[in-house]
Amino acid sequence: MIDTIHAVLRSLMPFEWAEHRFMIHALLAVAFLAPCCAALGVQVVNFRMAFFSDAISHSAFTGVVIGYLLVPVFEATWPGAAAWNRILPPATVVLFGVAVGAGITAVRRKTDLASDTVIGVFFATVIAMGIAVISHLHLRADFERYLYGSLIGAAPSDVAVAIIAAFVVLLFLALNFNPLLLIGLNESLARSRDIRTRAMDHAFSLLVALVVTVSLPSVGLLLVTAMLVVPAAAARNIARSAGGMLVWAVLIGWASGVGGLIGSFYADTAAGAAIILVAASIFVLSLSVGRLPRASARG
Amino acid sequence: MTQVPGGHRGPAAITLRGVCVRLGGQSILSDVSAEIPAGELTALIGPNGAGKTTLLRVLLNQVPYVGRVEFRGASNARPRIGYVPQTLDFDRGAPIRVVDFLACGSQRRALWLGIARSVRRAAIAALEQIGAAGLIDRRLGQLSGGELQRVLLAMALLREPEILLLDEPVAGVDLAGRGMFCDVVGTLQRRLRCTVVLVSHDLSVVTEHASYVICMNRTIHCQGRTVDTLTAENLRTIYGPTAALHHHVHAHEGARHSHPTHAHPDHHGHEHAGP
Repeated sequence: MIDTIHAVLRSLMPFEWAEHRFMIHALLAVAFLAPCCAALGVQVVNFRMAFFSDAISHSAFTGVVIGYLLVPVFEATWPGAAAWNRILPPATVVLFGVAVGAGITAVRRKTDLASDTVIGVFFATVIAMGIAVISHLHLRADFERYLYGSLIGAAPSDVAVAIIAAFVVLLFLALNFNPLLLIGLNESLARSRDIRTRAMDHAFSLLVALVVTVSLPSVGLLLVTAMLVVPAAAARNIARSAGGMLVWAVLIGWASGVGGLIGSFYADTAAGAAIILVAASIFVLSLSVGRLPRASARG
Repeated sequence: MTQVPGGHRGPAAITLRGVCVRLGGQSILSDVSAEIPAGELTALIGPNGAGKTTLLRVLLNQVPYVGRVEFRGASNARPRIGYVPQTLDFDRGAPIRVVDFLACGSQRRALWLGIARSVRRAAIAALEQIGAAGLIDRRLGQLSGGELQRVLLAMALLREPEILLLDEPVAGVDLAGRGMFCDVVGTLQRRLRCTVVLVSHDLSVVTEHASYVICMNRTIHCQGRTVDTLTAENLRTIYGPTAALHHHVHAHEGARHSHPTHAHPDHHGHEHAGP
């Protein structure tokens, strides 16, 4: 099927970049992932969780390290049972990201520390763990790919994963957008309406960790949080309702994902960087939209 | 501790028996026993840190406690409780409208798929009950403290509550908005005949609108009809020996000092609260 899509895209777009198979795969993956990130970003932006999602995405660094550490262990225990070197690093990234999210949430609930302090402590600890292990073992893996992201080698499986991720996020936000909004506004109020706030918190950090992990190879660790925050921040300036903000964020995320990816091919830059630069440009434009006088508060 | 004899006569909507709450090794509430009369406005008063909000959270079943909380009516069914929190926590520039806020509590379908006409109509109707229908399309961030409190009240009303819990509803509201909000709550309570529990350290609210008062500081000090309970002696017991109440009872509207509505243990003067 991917061959058909490939052929269709190539006939639709007789451009140089469409000649490369990996570009087509990368484009399809980003076209699904960028809107996912942006959609989750709405909650992140409205309730000042940017630092929280930053901590989760940076924990991916340590998650990758743990994954690589476990590969020889798993290969020794269950030799040939699976391609452990392909499965383990992404799996540990998700598990570790979720654990960090749960840890931050738990410590924040149990102590009276400000939440940015708790996140800061977790953030630093997690990064330090990763660096300590790498430097101690002199690990040489393709960490650079995780830091900056790379499209070379984007495969049909990446597209499949992106589509699944998009479906999961869409389903989650169709079912839980309203409860999440209420939790962000006042947790006690949400609980008084039988919303399971703790489960929702964990589900949300799980989803952020998942989407971050899936986006890592193409966007890179350093910029993946921006995929969540920048389109949603632009949408905040343009939209006039809570629902509208999500729709705008998805559109802006999609446009910057696709536009940035194609642009990166011609400019010969890292795709993640190009995507974020496009999103940031839209954000700058949105600032002027936000300043326009409004005839009415409707919209 | 002073117990005022001759409490309420009607049936109790909520009965608390020996409720204790410990959080992080600290006793927040100990041996709280109280009866909250049905269909009346009960004020829960006490100094800061007295555990008033914790007691509300006990009623909402949001903190672990020992003891019993009984609601009138069916043995195990919890009544519909409308909870009005102190405030909302959000980015004031976020494009969240009043209708979005009201709909996110009452509409199952995600807001980004549109707000149903019926949901919008219900939201307007709830706002109309408290004279705030004009706020429907305003952004939450553009509301004044008093307006936001009314929207929070409308949110609670959408549930058609049997019991309404208000947590320091006027703490962040200016004096004019405060009076207006209290009038709205008082009128609403009389019209709907629902049970209202209002947490406040603003004694002026209590004397004007509450028919029943529970004074507490980690435990219940006294409870009963407002006129019988708000005596100088009782207030001294919970707020401290030199509590001055003349600001609140007589001059609260004009008082211009840093905490115009709190009881001031450090302020000397004569009390007018009691007979």
